[in-house]
Amino acid sequence: MSGDPYGDRGNKDATIVNPRGTGTAQPVKGGSAKAAPNGPFLIGETMTGGYGNGPDILHDCTISVEKGEIAVIVGPNGAGKSTAMKAIFGMLDLRAGHVRLDGEDITALSPQARVAKGMGFVPQTSNIFTSMTVEENLEMGAFIRTDDFSGTMEQIFDLFPILREKRRQPAGELSGGQRQQVAVGRALMTQPKLLMLDEPTAGVSPIVMDELFERIIDVARTGIPVLMVEQNARQALEIADKGYVMVQGANAYTGTGKELLADEDVRKSFLGG
Amino acid sequence: MDFLNALVALSNYVLIPGMAYGSQLALGALGVTMVYGILRFSNFAHGDTMAFGAMVTVLMTWWLQSLGVSLGPLPTALLALPVGIAVCIGMLLATDRAVYHFYREKKAKPVILVIVSMGVMFIMNGIVRFIIGPGDQRFLDGERFLVSARDFKTMTGLQEGLAIKTTQAITVVTAVIVVAALFWFLNRTRAGKSMRAYSDNEDLALLSGINPERVVMLTWIIVAALATIAGVLYGLDKTFKPFTYFQLLLPIFAAAIVGGLGSPLGAIAGGFVIAFSEVTITYAWKKVLGYLMPESLAPDSLMQLLSTDYKFAVSFTILLIVLLFRPTGLFKGKAV
Amino acid sequence: MSDAVKNTGLFMIVGALILLTGVLQSWNAALLILNMGLISAIMALGVNLQWGFAGLFNIGVMGFVALGGLAAVLIGMPVTPGAWRAGGIGVIGALLLGAATIAAAVMVMKRMRKGPLRALVVIVVLVGGFFVFRALLDPNVAAIEAINPAGTGYLGGLNPGDQDTYKDYGIILLLAWPAGGVLAAGAAWLIGKTALGLRSDYLAIATLGIAEIIIAVLKNEDWLSRGVKNVIGIPRPVPYEIDLQNDPAFVERAAGVGLDPTMASTLYVKLLYAALFLVVLLVLLWMAQKALASPWGRMLRAIRDNEFAAEAMGKDVKRRHLQVFVLGSAVCGIAGAMMTTLDGQLVPSAYQPLRFTFLIWVMVIIGGSGNNFGAVLGGFLIWFLWVQVEPMGRLLMDLVTSGMADGYWLKTHLLESAAHMRLLTMGIVLLLVLRFSPRGLIPEK
Repeated sequence: MSGDPYGDRGNKDATIVNPRGTGTAQPVKGGSAKAAPNGPFLIGETMTGGYGNGPDILHDCTISVEKGEIAVIVGPNGAGKSTAMKAIFGMLDLRAGHVRLDGEDITALSPQARVAKGMGFVPQTSNIFTSMTVEENLEMGAFIRTDDFSGTMEQIFDLFPILREKRRQPAGELSGGQRQQVAVGRALMTQPKLLMLDEPTAGVSPIVMDELFERIIDVARTGIPVLMVEQNARQALEIADKGYVMVQGANAYTGTGKELLADEDVRKSFLGG
Repeated sequence: MDFLNALVALSNYVLIPGMAYGSQLALGALGVTMVYGILRFSNFAHGDTMAFGAMVTVLMTWWLQSLGVSLGPLPTALLALPVGIAVCIGMLLATDRAVYHFYREKKAKPVILVIVSMGVMFIMNGIVRFIIGPGDQRFLDGERFLVSARDFKTMTGLQEGLAIKTTQAITVVTAVIVVAALFWFLNRTRAGKSMRAYSDNEDLALLSGINPERVVMLTWIIVAALATIAGVLYGLDKTFKPFTYFQLLLPIFAAAIVGGLGSPLGAIAGGFVIAFSEVTITYAWKKVLGYLMPESLAPDSLMQLLSTDYKFAVSFTILLIVLLFRPTGLFKGKAV
Repeated sequence: MSDAVKNTGLFMIVGALILLTGVLQSWNAALLILNMGLISAIMALGVNLQWGFAGLFNIGVMGFVALGGLAAVLIGMPVTPGAWRAGGIGVIGALLLGAATIAAAVMVMKRMRKGPLRALVVIVVLVGGFFVFRALLDPNVAAIEAINPAGTGYLGGLNPGDQDTYKDYGIILLLAWPAGGVLAAGAAWLIGKTALGLRSDYLAIATLGIAEIIIAVLKNEDWLSRGVKNVIGIPRPVPYEIDLQNDPAFVERAAGVGLDPTMASTLYVKLLYAALFLVVLLVLLWMAQKALASPWGRMLRAIRDNEFAAEAMGKDVKRRHLQVFVLGSAVCGIAGAMMTTLDGQLVPSAYQPLRFTFLIWVMVIIGGSGNNFGAVLGGFLIWFLWVQVEPMGRLLMDLVTSGMADGYWLKTHLLESAAHMRLLTMGIVLLLVLRFSPRGLIPEK
């Protein structure tokens, strides 16, 4: 843009600039966590913010998860569901609001520091290192760990047996469902206290989707709370302990999965009757 | 027909110089491709970074020589090389802190960094000329030949001599060691893998807890080492002159692009492709053909396809052909 | 309008700097800076068209400038007697054959089915064509270069005069300027056609390479440009100082304003050049401003700011890019021809990328990408710095070393190195502006 002194003026010259893999996140620079006892296990509280100098996408949005729960965020396209996830993860500088995890205020922490605090995040797209092998992807997931993580890797191979078979293959060569398994596996390698999934079933076939949901329930059963954004609202709410319906960057309806499924308004507007 | 003599002449004038030049280009192109893969821009200051590292090594070599230190048959410059690398690392890290870091924070588009690197290029070029001057500098000592033409002739009884300069041998050996070390680092160590991951997918690397600033720092360190080694090897083999390093930018970029920007393997392949095409096309084939053809058919002219001044044209034509058929280069510009 | 005041102020500062040079150093030096500043401003205008309006990264400015210089030779110099008969026709024939070879290879590429056979045929056509081309070219080139190699040894140009009288037709050089533009535009069209054609362009490396090749051609093809023997004595569209000094009327007028004839003649000639260059600059600036405000310019900027949206609206992005690339390069070619006219000689080895490509980029970035007035300002300002940093550096070094004993190695070294301060300064100025005023001195509106 002409207004942006750091823009590219529409230059697409691949011999001087690398279009691949460039980051879009505007991560929190990093500060320290403050003690903030009580409250839910994870909460993004009255979050307001957007990308860069752009307009706010989130308006006073609140999302929380308790231990042992599956929480699901649903809503129409462009409602800011993924943005809310990114904000919780520190990939986006908040203008107002707080993020608290396990009794600490982590709003000022950089994404790396949040990983160290026990958050695991699987983004919706480009969620694997395509040029690296499955095994290397998992290793990168365990990047912050200094202990021996071979045990965790075995657990993940037990959870997703196909990955054991393809461990030496570049992840970019796998099928869509397998890629999602790698992505979830990568996030689990840190042994997170909390798993966040951004539309894990986007673009996979219904059979694979069912299987993925099974796995996610498996993960939740091991005691890891799961926060998930889903496009397939009905299925997702069916397995959800808590549901959030977001509209235009703000909370519209909140309740248990069953309540939301039963709610007349929610059904009419978002679940197609 | 004299096949053996032809082969010796070919090795002497084409294969061996091509190998040495190819190694130098490959090391240079590796540096360019690393910056492209991790920092995502083409670093115009790379030629001058090579000149800077080489300059420090030259100064150090002179100092060692003045103290009477030598490596015997090997050039003293090898002893000075670590110092050159260290100073060059310091220089690049300081440049990153003072210049590039700001634009990363601002999330500036890579093309802005390209322009910034032009400024760095001017400054480094100025510094090098300021310190050591624009002229030719000699810093080679030790044994000049590993195998001299005369020895080879007496040894084999062939009419044609084969000379291998010490610097050529050192160049190839060093390049092999450096490349092996680099690949081991990138594919086997945790830090190296984190660099590949960052190059592949910056956001996901962030999500995995990889610290971008650390990756960038590692990259500059490796680039400084590669640039200094390439610069010193080139200076030993040919001559140290700041301006020639600036001019190396075109064949180095050509090598990196032919191989596929961002792909280390491609950078090496590209370096040799460019080097061998330059050498073969600008070499006067009269001698080799004279041995191969019957007396009556022996060529009168030099049989030089293009004058040596057109070597840039050769790099460039190869580049053009590759880009026309494979826009991403021979090794599909992959992650570092 | 505080913007207009600020911009006028900036131009006045640069004007004052040049005037100061006149007062402190000499008026000749000041006019020299002004003349080259005018030429630099035109080059910057060309690059700004490409980078500022369209985001095209041309780092082969040097090549287009050199082509402009070649045009000055081809238009301004007299034809070498006998050269055309000796080999000129043959050379042209060989070049046509070379072009035909490439055309044939392209035809084969398009007509035949993909496969090893096609590759083989293409290679055979190209390699075979190359050898025939060389076989035809070499003897003709040798014949041309054999004609009085110390004086001519090349084809010469289109000047209607002969070896003795050609300088009387200096006015023809005014034709060389647009011709330089046409030559550069032709080269740019060829480059643009190949380099902008693919999914993602690779203009940067293409222009970088072509520029080096153009310089290599100028250095090597003696039949065309005398190569490293240089072409000197290119006629000029303005009178010669010596003629003015021998003209009693001029001497009288000079005395009238209190100047000695030598001084007056040198100043007069430079002023004439300045007037000519100023006219060209103003015309080009006016055209660039008109283009910027026209639907064509608006579309260019729309493409630059959002290519996908523009493409979705059915705009032919590649075509626009090609157009603006050709136009910008043509402007650089015009400036190149003007510069060679001012110098009166073509010296291929004088073309260095730092001076003729990257310095022009510094001018554009510092002046303000996307603003024509910014580019012009940058042209003047950076050229002034480029010239004046050296004496300033020497002064600085004198100051720094004043305490050191004469003959002390560091003193000698520092004094000798002062000349290299200008590169350092350019880099620092560029980085400072990028950091603290990233949109340049006169930002795009």
